[in-house]
Amino acid sequence: MTTLALAPRLDLSHASELAGALRGHKGADLVLDASAVTHLGGLGLQLLAAAAKTWRAQGHSLSIQPRSAAFDEALGTFGVNLADLQSEEAA
Amino acid sequence: MATDPMAEIRASFFVECEELLESLQDALGEMDEGQHDNETINVVFRAVHSIKGGAGAFGLDALVSFAHRYETVLDELRSGRLAITPDAMKLFFHAADLLHDHVRAARDAGPVPDGAEECLHDLEALIGDRAGPAPEEEITDFQPMGLSFDFGDMDDGMSASEPPAWQIRFTPTAALYASGNEPLHLLRALQALGTAQVTCDLDGLPDLDALRPEDAALGWTILLTGDLTEAEIREVFDFVEDVSRLDINQTAADTPAKDFSMNFDQGLKNPLPPFEAPLAIAADPAEVSGPEAAATTPTTAPSPAVPQAAIPPSAPKEPATPTEASATVRVDLDRIDRLVNLVGELVINQAMLAQSVAEAGLPPNSAVMTGLEAFMMLTRDIQDSVMMIRAQPVKPLFQRMARIVREASGAVGKEVRLRTEGDATEVDKTVIERLADPLTHMIRNAVDHGLETPDKRRDAGKSPEGVITLSAQHRSGRVVIEVSDDGAGINRPKVREIAITKGLIAADAVLSDSDIDNLLFLPGFSTANQVSALSGRGVGMDVVRSAIQSLGGRITIHSEPGKGTRFSISLPLTLAVLDGMVVNVAGETLVVPLSSILETATLSEGDIRALGPETNVIHVRGAFVPLYDLGAELGYRRPKSSYDGGIVLLTALENGARSALVVDAIMEQRQVVIKGLQRSYGHIPGVAAATILGDGQIALILDPADLVQNASGRTRAADLALAG
Repeated sequence: MTTLALAPRLDLSHASELAGALRGHKGADLVLDASAVTHLGGLGLQLLAAAAKTWRAQGHSLSIQPRSAAFDEALGTFGVNLADLQSEEAA
Repeated sequence: MATDPMAEIRASFFVECEELLESLQDALGEMDEGQHDNETINVVFRAVHSIKGGAGAFGLDALVSFAHRYETVLDELRSGRLAITPDAMKLFFHAADLLHDHVRAARDAGPVPDGAEECLHDLEALIGDRAGPAPEEEITDFQPMGLSFDFGDMDDGMSASEPPAWQIRFTPTAALYASGNEPLHLLRALQALGTAQVTCDLDGLPDLDALRPEDAALGWTILLTGDLTEAEIREVFDFVEDVSRLDINQTAADTPAKDFSMNFDQGLKNPLPPFEAPLAIAADPAEVSGPEAAATTPTTAPSPAVPQAAIPPSAPKEPATPTEASATVRVDLDRIDRLVNLVGELVINQAMLAQSVAEAGLPPNSAVMTGLEAFMMLTRDIQDSVMMIRAQPVKPLFQRMARIVREASGAVGKEVRLRTEGDATEVDKTVIERLADPLTHMIRNAVDHGLETPDKRRDAGKSPEGVITLSAQHRSGRVVIEVSDDGAGINRPKVREIAITKGLIAADAVLSDSDIDNLLFLPGFSTANQVSALSGRGVGMDVVRSAIQSLGGRITIHSEPGKGTRFSISLPLTLAVLDGMVVNVAGETLVVPLSSILETATLSEGDIRALGPETNVIHVRGAFVPLYDLGAELGYRRPKSSYDGGIVLLTALENGARSALVVDAIMEQRQVVIKGLQRSYGHIPGVAAATILGDGQIALILDPADLVQNASGRTRAADLALAG
């Protein structure tokens, strides 16, 4: 299983980078390491959600583990469940 | 990504802050002068409000909190519930200073400035109970509070006793992200207002491949419960209203009630568009054939009716600031300096070309000559334009001084008013930056030593409030900045006594008034008997003088007992290029700045009058002007026996005095590029800089005023130097 470490700031400054990285891992199970995330912005959130949707559609698993407190706090503020950003599909 | 867009947006926010702080100071100044109209007060309010809003977008909490509390008090002022008193004005100024500190602290990630809490406390004491941690009452012509009871019978869940609930639909556009705003901060701010239930509309989200990273694809629905007005909610979105879609409806506490929107629309200035669920437009993955289609069609954005280009304003409010700062471009100073240097080289190159053309002996009306003339004019235009980029008004500098005056006068218990004149005068940016320290020192000196205590002023029949005037103007191609006070003037006997005690002058030295005044510039001189908190810490006027000199400037002092003291700083306008007259003296080529030359003349026997054993004056237009032989002054030759038939340049000094400089020949008039000498050689009396002429020869650029000053030994034009 591949692990992708996420950048500390997931906002406008890193959106392109994040999109590129996620697209590069398409078609396989993936674990995202969000332990270093200090700021999850709207643009980062929508990329992660879109990725989860794509992974689900392709039948691969996507999980975010481990996560920083800032990441979880931002999810709460955004009103998004962790499940929305993950894919439970077995490969 | 090569540059961090967030960092850029952040930097431009702080640039904007500086402008807002400037207008804040301006408007406060006008208020202080008795202008209490609504517009002026509004300018003050808006400046603080805009800083708060921008800071909110970046999560600068300390700044937001300070600005918010300041704004709350200003709002009372705006609504006429708070009167403008001198004490209140002092607090407003102090708070503006602290706001400036907060902005700096936020920018440099420095510590929160001291004294903020006390200042806010004092400010809030002005408005008594109306202050508080809750956001301020927003003045609006729409009062939604009264409407809630009308709908009590329409829904069982809504009873009069329950706090009203608001349904907020917030859909950002790409422009919101591009302008550095962040929904996360806005949602947090909403959650701070009351109990919020946030739902993210994820359904319309496209596939990862179809999603462009900078596009906005999410929207939120927030159910907010709390004792709130719509205006309070809208305030959260104040700075993103034109870059997002926002619908706010009042609803029952627990039920999402779309139907109510129609009823509420009657009270709103702008009817809310019917809500379209994101699902309706949700991009069907089947429709989105590939990334290309996704990149070009707005259908990929699930935001209801928010195409990327069109940004429908949800309410016609005051224009939001963040997206409007497009009239200026921020450019790295290094790039401008490079441009200035290149233009300098261009000027030299053009001079060389002109020389070659002249040597080729072409007829004056040849195509080459005409072309060269056009080229010269273009060069001149480019040079002027480049210089204009670097020139900045002295106003921000003067505003900083206003703060120094406030702080210094508070520290020594004197009443001081600062008057500024000519703050639109433009000076080279480097000069402005390097003037801050010397000016601060001079202002502190004026407050501490120049002005008397209120009691003494009353005794002297003056107003207890002292006035310090700071002025800037262009004079003789230079910038003259003056700091004057209406204090007691220099206590010359005391200055003399101290100079003798400190061994700076001999006890029996015969000194004129201006000689004594100039003792202040001697290193180690300080008239204060006690070291005060403000000045007298061993940093004297000598440091000020050397700072001014390092800028190619001069400082002079004028004092009248009982009436005050005036310091004049004269500075070159630019540090790069000047118009000069190329002259020949004893076989040497020299450049005299054209700005200092009044006229040129050929001497005849009758014009020259002897004055004393070694000096001459010439008679020009009814006045006598001291004569200096440049060749002798610069040590190129011994004074001539006769100057009959000699050529003189009549120069003007900043103080209005004139002098006549004898040269052997005037060669031409041209632009020269200043090449500083001071870094390599230090200050050379009478020489400002050097330049490279068209033929590659190096020539010294003279500073006539400095030359004359050193030639005569003292500033007094009556003290004549060698001649005849």
